[in-house]
Amino acid sequence: MAQTGLWLRWSWRDLRRRWPVVTAIALVIALGTGTYAGLLSTSAWRTQSNDASFALLNTHDLRVALPSGSTTEEGRLAAVVASLEHAGDVAAARERLVVPTQIAGPGDLLVTGELVGTDTLPGAAVDGVHVTRGRALGAADDGAGAVVADESFADKNHLTVGSELTVSGGARLEVVGRGQSPEYFIVTGGQGGLPFLTQKGYGVLFASLHTVQRAAGADGQVNDLVLTLRPGADRARVAAELSRALEIAQPPLAADLTTRDDIDAYRVLYDDIDGDEQLWRIVALLVLVGAAFASMNLTTRVVEAQRREIGIGMALGVPTWRLAVRPLLFGAQIAVLGVLLGLGVGWAVSIPLRDVFVGMIPLPIWRTPLQADVFAQAAVLGLLLPFVAIAWPVWRALLVQPVEAIRVGHLAARGSGLAPLLSRLRVPGRGYRQIPVRNVLRTPRRTLLTAFGIASAITTLVTTVGLLDTFGATLDRAEAEMLHTAPDRVSVALDTFQPLDGDVVRTVEQLPEVGSLEAGLRIPAVADPDGEGVDLLVDVLPAGARWQPTLVDGQPDGGLLLAEEAAADLGVGVGDAVTVEHPQATATGLRTVRTTMVVAGLHPNPMRVFAYLDPAAADALGLAGTANVMSVTPAEGRSADDVRRALLEVPHVASAQTPQAAIDGMRTTLDEFVGILNVAALITLLLALLIAFNTTSIAVDERSREHATMLAFGLPVRTVLGMTAVETVIVGALGTLGGIGGGYLVLRWMSATTISDVLPEVGVTASLSATTVVGALLLGIATVGLAPLFTLRRMRRTDIPSALRVME
Amino acid sequence: MEGVAEPRPAVDARAGSEGTRIDLDGVCRYFQVGDTVVKALDDVNLHVDESAFVVALGASGSGKTTLLNLIGSLDAPTAGTVRLAGVELTTASRAERTRARRSTVSFIFQSFNLFPGLTALENVQFGADVAGRDAPETVARQVLESVGLGDRARHFAHQLSGGEQQRVAIARALATGNPILLADEPTGELDFHTGVQILELLRAQAEAGKTVIVVTHNREISRVADRVIELSSGRIVADHRPVGGPAAIADLHW
Ligand SMILES: Nc1ncnc2c1ncn2[C@@H]1O[C@H](COP(=O)(O)OP(=O)(O)O)[C@@H](O)[C@H]1O
Ligand SMILES: [Mg+2]
Repeated sequence: MAQTGLWLRWSWRDLRRRWPVVTAIALVIALGTGTYAGLLSTSAWRTQSNDASFALLNTHDLRVALPSGSTTEEGRLAAVVASLEHAGDVAAARERLVVPTQIAGPGDLLVTGELVGTDTLPGAAVDGVHVTRGRALGAADDGAGAVVADESFADKNHLTVGSELTVSGGARLEVVGRGQSPEYFIVTGGQGGLPFLTQKGYGVLFASLHTVQRAAGADGQVNDLVLTLRPGADRARVAAELSRALEIAQPPLAADLTTRDDIDAYRVLYDDIDGDEQLWRIVALLVLVGAAFASMNLTTRVVEAQRREIGIGMALGVPTWRLAVRPLLFGAQIAVLGVLLGLGVGWAVSIPLRDVFVGMIPLPIWRTPLQADVFAQAAVLGLLLPFVAIAWPVWRALLVQPVEAIRVGHLAARGSGLAPLLSRLRVPGRGYRQIPVRNVLRTPRRTLLTAFGIASAITTLVTTVGLLDTFGATLDRAEAEMLHTAPDRVSVALDTFQPLDGDVVRTVEQLPEVGSLEAGLRIPAVADPDGEGVDLLVDVLPAGARWQPTLVDGQPDGGLLLAEEAAADLGVGVGDAVTVEHPQATATGLRTVRTTMVVAGLHPNPMRVFAYLDPAAADALGLAGTANVMSVTPAEGRSADDVRRALLEVPHVASAQTPQAAIDGMRTTLDEFVGILNVAALITLLLALLIAFNTTSIAVDERSREHATMLAFGLPVRTVLGMTAVETVIVGALGTLGGIGGGYLVLRWMSATTISDVLPEVGVTASLSATTVVGALLLGIATVGLAPLFTLRRMRRTDIPSALRVME
Repeated sequence: MEGVAEPRPAVDARAGSEGTRIDLDGVCRYFQVGDTVVKALDDVNLHVDESAFVVALGASGSGKTTLLNLIGSLDAPTAGTVRLAGVELTTASRAERTRARRSTVSFIFQSFNLFPGLTALENVQFGADVAGRDAPETVARQVLESVGLGDRARHFAHQLSGGEQQRVAIARALATGNPILLADEPTGELDFHTGVQILELLRAQAEAGKTVIVVTHNREISRVADRVIELSSGRIVADHRPVGGPAAIADLHW
């Protein structure tokens, strides 16, 4: 149809004539859709990479683990497995000795960690080690002092092949390689009673079974067995048989049977994907919404410029729907351009995102292929967006009477707005100084539209940067709470419960490096196990302990002290009762019981895992007179490191950590978010700049006739420029303030909903740092204020006669 | 009424003997439009050194606006020289040209170009402000009064009729105190009756000592001029003074 060709050509010309604006809209859309595509691609990457990595190393299907501290003879667990009715389903089984240890090494390296000793039978490994540097362990290493160090641990502590390490008990080991194993892809905390760990501060060393037996002084002993099943084997059936076999074993084997799904690293690596995706989806949507508003702002202007031609079309009797075709075609062209650019942006955005993940989650295999379906989704969104953006202005333009649309000159300049009301309000100085303020007030709709465009960009920026602030503030609160007194203390965890007056406590107390010592208990527990199931680490602090939690509500004793976040999640307050599942000591060992405890008070640590009991209330635990943690203050002139080094030689010491190390551990928990948010913040910054800049230059264009009149009267360009800057700064300030407010609201909403879903264990409260607020203000106002400067060249070259003739 | 040929002294003290001189020598202004060159002005020589009511007459497209723009230094010629109050505009710096505009000429546009954000009074004050006059508000009030709009001071452009708007525009030009007024089709958007009022106002300025150059395609208007310059296809084809002096404005009709 020839007609179609005409309309297409016509809108194509519109596009070419306004190419800077069009490119800007397209870029804004591209940033929105590209971010969406990039952020959401990460979910698929992580799933694929997890699958590949866990498969590569034959991650165990079932694991038998003896309680901490106990062992059995080598071969006994393997025999139990071999005796199963469906033993044929087992592809491979490996006995191990996994022991907590302290590791000292080159430089001042001194960390808590564990030794993982696996038998070196021929055949496929279970929970194999993927060697990244140096060499793998072979049969020749059986019993020798060779270890493969966890890749991240080695990397962050600059361990190289050939590094010498000393572990608890004094054994010296040589690093012959660096590698990764599925259970330790990431270190999640919980090990050695330490809730927050980093791979820098927690070392995992893989060695032969006999090497570890020798180092741990447990010759011929194992405490763990891992096995894989043949493809198609029924895991539940084998698990049931194994569980039964362990129960009837003589002498008894009180072993824990777990599956692959119970591996912390496995669970966290998969679970995080969903949670994070929620967060990224919101960030991506925010960017998209910002882009939508911005493009609406721009398209409105374009359509308004076509107002008169639409009117002429109406006068010529062109049906309304056909008049809509041209601006809509214009929108379609922007959409296509935006999506094409968006694919490029998506690709570009995915590079830093990939780097963040690859750097953050050390997997042996990273698969980051282009996610066609995610990009297709983004493309659809990108195509719809400009139509949504252009629909409203087109609708408005088509509603007017033709005669109004055609009207030119002074009659078209209909008065509206608030200027008349405010004609009494005068800015001091020359009369024309009133113009910027009046212009802002005279066209409130346009002012609002511009301000809205800027606000939407700033909202997105403030939200993303605000998330960083919020995480930072959360850590600061944790840090303030944990370091408010005795920051030099060292928290020492023991691998078993030791009598308060026993050898271990006395040995530590008598170390010359140790100034004072407080022995206490740290008990893992679950509050409301049938409902919310909030994991707790309950510390029983001795009376008069140097460090005590701060109270925000209630009493320090008479019951449980919970984190505010835990109380909120459990829906309890001071004085309420809460069911707690916890271990209790009995004559025959530890068993799990439920006790109803009263919430005595609340403490402000945002990490909800921390809970405290006073010694009297701790009687319920049946652990009176024993300790499994100690808080040690270094002696005069000795440092925390001296204490930790000395503790290396003490048996039963599982770990020794300063509160600062725990805080660093928390920090890494949030680092992945921080990394991604940094990328997102950068994108939104770009978006904000682009939007602010374009909105402003459009606003400047709209004033071209007034500017020409001023120039014709001999006002210097710089004065005209200054007045424009004043006008745009007013609007920019309005938009920026709105954006900061909007950002804060979105942030609060996200903290209350998404973030508490994604990070339930952390109590975050929305907070914006002064830097963010001031930064956003400066950015918003400066960008719009400076934007007119970029029109300086154009203004100097203004063809005054033609600018004046615009409407004539 | 004074003799048409006799130059009148400039009213503004700042404009000395050179103050109102306009000299165009061999001025050409060509526009490249696609493949063709449009000769909007072609070898125009024009000298105005008197305070008078000068009408440039020509059909649409004959180059009238271009001529006015060159005089007002809104535009630069392709060839030839333009001097305004003794300042050679063609070689002047940007700042000098801006200053010339600020202190010598004042524009009155066909479509008024009032600042929509300013009241009538403020628009007029704009002129006084730009020219750096003392007590600009007082000047503005007086000038607005003199064009008969003292009671419209607080109105915005959209609250005024076309004729009122044009009178505000004239007041704005007058408030600068500049000796030369350049008016491009000042009655083009107005009805006959209002148009005549505007002409009267402009003529009065010439009688008060200003040089007023009005550009129009309306031959009637040229009857009331002291001097008529006829343009056709970018050339001056006639430059004469009406025989027997200008007609009375009351005699006009179109
Ligand atoms: N900026 C321009 N670009 C191209 N042609 C122009 C431009 N300005 C004026 N012209 C042409 O120059 C001629 C004279 O224009 P103009 O001075 O506006 O005429 P008038 O005011 O007498 O109607 C016309 O043919 C017009 O099309
Ligand atoms: Mg003209």
